[in-house]
Amino acid sequence: MRRFEQQISPHLKSAYNLAKWLTRSHADAEDVVQDAFLRAFSAFESFRGDDARPHNAKAWLLTIVRNTSMTWLKRNRNAGATLGFEDAAEDPRERSPDPEEILLISCDREAVRQALEQLPWEFREAIVLRELEGLSYREISETVGVPLGTVMSRLSRGRDWLRRILSTPGPSSPRKELA
Amino acid sequence: MNCDDYRIYLPAYLDDELDVAESLRVQKHLAGCQDCRQTEDEQLALRSALRDADLRAHPSADFSERIEVVVREAAKEEARSRRSSRFEFLRLESFGWLPAAAVLLVVTTIGALVMKSFQSSHQQLVASAVLAGHIRSLQPNHLIDVPSSDRHTVKPWFQGKLDFSPPVPDLSELGWTLVGGRLDYVDGRPVAVIVYQRRMHNINVFLWPNRGSTDEAIRQEEAQGYQILHWNGAEMTYWVVSDLNNAELLEFAQALRGH
Repeated sequence: MRRFEQQISPHLKSAYNLAKWLTRSHADAEDVVQDAFLRAFSAFESFRGDDARPHNAKAWLLTIVRNTSMTWLKRNRNAGATLGFEDAAEDPRERSPDPEEILLISCDREAVRQALEQLPWEFREAIVLRELEGLSYREISETVGVPLGTVMSRLSRGRDWLRRILSTPGPSSPRKELA
Repeated sequence: MNCDDYRIYLPAYLDDELDVAESLRVQKHLAGCQDCRQTEDEQLALRSALRDADLRAHPSADFSERIEVVVREAAKEEARSRRSSRFEFLRLESFGWLPAAAVLLVVTTIGALVMKSFQSSHQQLVASAVLAGHIRSLQPNHLIDVPSSDRHTVKPWFQGKLDFSPPVPDLSELGWTLVGGRLDYVDGRPVAVIVYQRRMHNINVFLWPNRGSTDEAIRQEEAQGYQILHWNGAEMTYWVVSDLNNAELLEFAQALRGH
């Protein structure tokens, strides 16, 4: 109990943050986190926490949170739509810009938030774990349960996607009208 | 590698996640490729936009408090159930005191018989806990938490409930029907129980990660009409309990071990 409070409870904020980004709903995130903490508690005895590497506890908890989010979404809603495989914005690669065009990245907080929210589930997850939670590629690979190379390509594609959503043409080169 | 390849490596390069040789290769390419340098600038801009936007969602103070309470309650509950499982094997609340005492007597007697046949005292404890778990599972509504004959339903159900992923082989072609799974508590840890059936005989397979040495030889014991089989696989420790006859259960264990 004390060990759980020392090693796992401090990561409540990270757990909530991940659940919120995955479920895209405050109420769902709270349900998921509560469920995940109960699961974590019942499995904690067998978790060999290493005091020297407190990050492991975080990655371990986040694994439970992402699995719980996934199960929760599948059970409670139309999985395909919620996981973002269907309702995702069209791949922004379609409106490929002129290579000569100078692109500016929008720094508007709301625009960045919306762009991230639109990303398909697996890219959103990778970016939240990396940029918002500061996990290493290896930790992401363990948390998500995919090989390192997949993490690299998801982060790369996710960022590319964001970059294109957030890009606005520079003043010197107006965007070509799409036919 | 062409520019597209480099672009996949670029974020990892900026995140300092490449090894030295790869890093140098990307660096060298960047020095000579203006397009990729532009992509690098955009990636850097994106990264600071992501960080500056302060996108982390924060739990409310009320919610943090609620989680604290929930964890405390779970700890209390666990302490209670551990106390009762240590002394009773069976949940007394679920039925009256007298029949409970009778069942307890039977279980302790069976346990004692099992203990005689297993040599080390630790194995005796596990054997009697497994047998008690099997008998408990035969009471109404105790057999399975996740009823399904589909291994793709049973296996994921354990996710997040255990710190390991139990193998759930499909043995239907050999005449062993998967009926579901549940959690149990044996040997001081939560364990997976996979339930198979043949001709209405239930077979409980208790398993958890094997931390000791591997011993694939199947030990076989009989106690009051129940067969108990046990072996230590390379990854998992297995205990199989059923009222099925000895020869058939051994055949089942071999099928399971061979999978």
